[in-house]
Amino acid sequence: MKTIAKTQIDSILKALAVPYNLYIPVAGAFTQTPGREGLENASQFRLYQEGLPLHWTTNTCLSPKDLLFPQTEEMYTIVSHGKTVEIQEKAIGHKPTILFGIRSCDIESIDCMDRVFLEKGFEDTYYKTRRPRTILFALSCTTHEDTCFCTSMGVNPQSSPSADVQISDLGDTFSFTAQTLGGEQALAYVDALLSEIIGTGPSGALKTQTPDTLKTPEELKEIALSNAADSTLSSAADSTLSSSSADSPLSSAADSTLNAAADNAGNKTSAASPLPTDPMIITVNSDGVSEKLENMFEHPLWDEINLPCLGCGACTYVCPTCYCFDINDKTLSHTTINKQRCWDSCMFSDYTRMAGGHNPRPSKKERVRNRFLDKLLYNRQRHGRLFCVGCGRCVAKCPVNLEIATVIQKIQAAEVTPS
Amino acid sequence: MKDTVIHATNTIAIRHEMRNIARNLLEIQAVDLILGWKKGILPNKSAPAFIHRPDQVDDLIFDEFCYHNLTKFLLGCPDRQDRIADNEDRLKTAIFVKGCDSRSLIGLIQDNQITRENVYIIGIDCPGLKEEHNTTILAKKCETCYTATPVEYDILIDSPDKRPENPNGLKGFQAHRDLAKIENMPPAERGAYWQQMFQSCIRCYACRNVCPVCSCKECCFDQTLPNWVGKGNNTSDNGFYHLVRAMHVAGRCVSCGECERSCPMHLPVMLLNSKLGLSIEELFDEPPASMNFDVTATLNHFKPEDPEEFM
Ligand code: SF4
Ligand code: SF4
Ligand code: SF4
Ligand code: SF4
Ligand code: SF4
Repeated sequence: MKTIAKTQIDSILKALAVPYNLYIPVAGAFTQTPGREGLENASQFRLYQEGLPLHWTTNTCLSPKDLLFPQTEEMYTIVSHGKTVEIQEKAIGHKPTILFGIRSCDIESIDCMDRVFLEKGFEDTYYKTRRPRTILFALSCTTHEDTCFCTSMGVNPQSSPSADVQISDLGDTFSFTAQTLGGEQALAYVDALLSEIIGTGPSGALKTQTPDTLKTPEELKEIALSNAADSTLSSAADSTLSSSSADSPLSSAADSTLNAAADNAGNKTSAASPLPTDPMIITVNSDGVSEKLENMFEHPLWDEINLPCLGCGACTYVCPTCYCFDINDKTLSHTTINKQRCWDSCMFSDYTRMAGGHNPRPSKKERVRNRFLDKLLYNRQRHGRLFCVGCGRCVAKCPVNLEIATVIQKIQAAEVTPS
Repeated sequence: MKDTVIHATNTIAIRHEMRNIARNLLEIQAVDLILGWKKGILPNKSAPAFIHRPDQVDDLIFDEFCYHNLTKFLLGCPDRQDRIADNEDRLKTAIFVKGCDSRSLIGLIQDNQITRENVYIIGIDCPGLKEEHNTTILAKKCETCYTATPVEYDILIDSPDKRPENPNGLKGFQAHRDLAKIENMPPAERGAYWQQMFQSCIRCYACRNVCPVCSCKECCFDQTLPNWVGKGNNTSDNGFYHLVRAMHVAGRCVSCGECERSCPMHLPVMLLNSKLGLSIEELFDEPPASMNFDVTATLNHFKPEDPEEFM
């Protein structure tokens, strides 16, 4: 296990910002406006610059999806030269990118995006260019917003197995664990800054590892498994020392490895076990919700829940798994236009409006129904998983509190007559 | 009409009276829909309630998080197919209003968006709301409230806890603290401030869709021919959106604060409204928008003695 004191985190960021485009969670700029003090404004991932105010305590207002799927993607420029036109493609930079400090829920949402943009026989050029050169540094959650309900959606706020590096909050220090080859490579750049305690064997002896031996994902999996086996032994041996978080249902095998390793190294690091996540305020049961929805397209539930919706795009723009877009032109001069691909929202009335004026989703009932069926049914059928990761952003941001947690509860409680 | 006043001594009593009135209206079939508030998923969240049947009236509440200006729902936003008021096939709609909400209702009636006879207005003396992110402080918009007692109602639930009159009388915009702060910035700093604001906007249009004064059947930003504003998110298109929106509500904005509350990025959306409101206050000697039926919004009428400084 490699750790660094929280106060030293900037040295890591500074070092990573050299070889990588480094994006970090940054607090918004309007916290000083009178009457808005203490309100978290527009926190989001921004390119690292020294001195930017970090936003560490909870998740960012805007999800990091913008960095893989930008709100506005400049695709190409069309220049007319009299009777001919010239098309200038926009290049996407190839410098590798690190998204530092992403929460478990948003890591899961990137899995959703991968399924949309890379699977099912269609590969999106823009997404495909960015995704493989993006290294994800996941950060475990100790506190959370009142609106978070990731644990109800099968997400573990303490660990993200699909991230490249898992950062765990140990109190005064952060620990870094590489989970992929890309993660190992990135950590190698900051190795000199990290205190290195890689793990402990059953005997309690420290395992050491030279940073330049890079492991394949398969090898890493094996290490994780053997560490998990170690942790059973060592936490049994150290049961008096071991913190309760090792037993918490939220902790995965990987976490208990950390706990056990940390406990064994207790005399070397100060606060040693990852802090557990506070219990969530919102809990829902999402089991079987897709199956139930299969027979609910015409259910009267939709007549009721759509009523307060304002048809704005807040819920879909803040949602890390919403992926809809629209392609249009931006006129630059009388001879030049840019083709751009912009986020769109199924909650807007013009989203389904046809050129002739017909709209197959004529009222907000159909639009609200589409949004929730898309999250909870269609994507399950198409991509094999629910497209809600419980980040709670729609709970926090919808102006009329029309949010998915309550909708899931209502679906579960609805009476359905089988068709 | 200001017919009836019912006295309620505290929030619990207000809620009790709300439910009684609602139940009665539905039972005697005077209305077929009541727009009110219900509790949301968290203690600091309330939500609009659409009450159709007497067995739903116990959902109704009134607390310090009932921000929602329900008058917007009379229009059935955003594309008006589900317009509630003025639908000839249905009974009246009853609506609960706070002081600020009642003003936008007058505005909608003055703008011929809804007919007074088609709505039954239940006023509530507003004690002032709290900020969602800090439930111990008074909501910012309530600091400059002109009237905590609705300016129009059929029945009023009055309460001793209501907010006192605005000490600035009808010149409320002058009390907007943040305006002074922005105006005192050196130009470069002020420019950077607005750039930052426009950059942070994600153009979700929540601030437009929630606004009871934005009552156009088709908003200019939704038109494609001509395409007034590009779909792309960039500082200049975003800034254009904000300036146009502020101009379109100028003189009619009732300071209900819904635009700013609804912004998912928590941007100070009301600043531009306040600036225009202040300019209108300073230029014209008229009451703020929609305080009564006798005066239409300042920029909606012309008087020979209006100042014409630019001519
Ligand atoms: S559900 Fe809420 S956030 Fe989404 S469009 Fe409707 S009002 Fe806006
Ligand atoms: S639906 Fe809501 S809670 Fe679920 S992922 Fe989207 S924003 Fe988060
Ligand atoms: S939803 Fe879960 S993972 Fe996401 S920020 Fe909240 S606690 Fe963390
Ligand atoms: S502009 Fe904002 S404060 Fe003014 S009426 Fe509209 S929502 Fe209310
Ligand atoms: S609500 Fe906020 S983010 Fe949305 S368009 Fe308005 S200012 Fe922009």
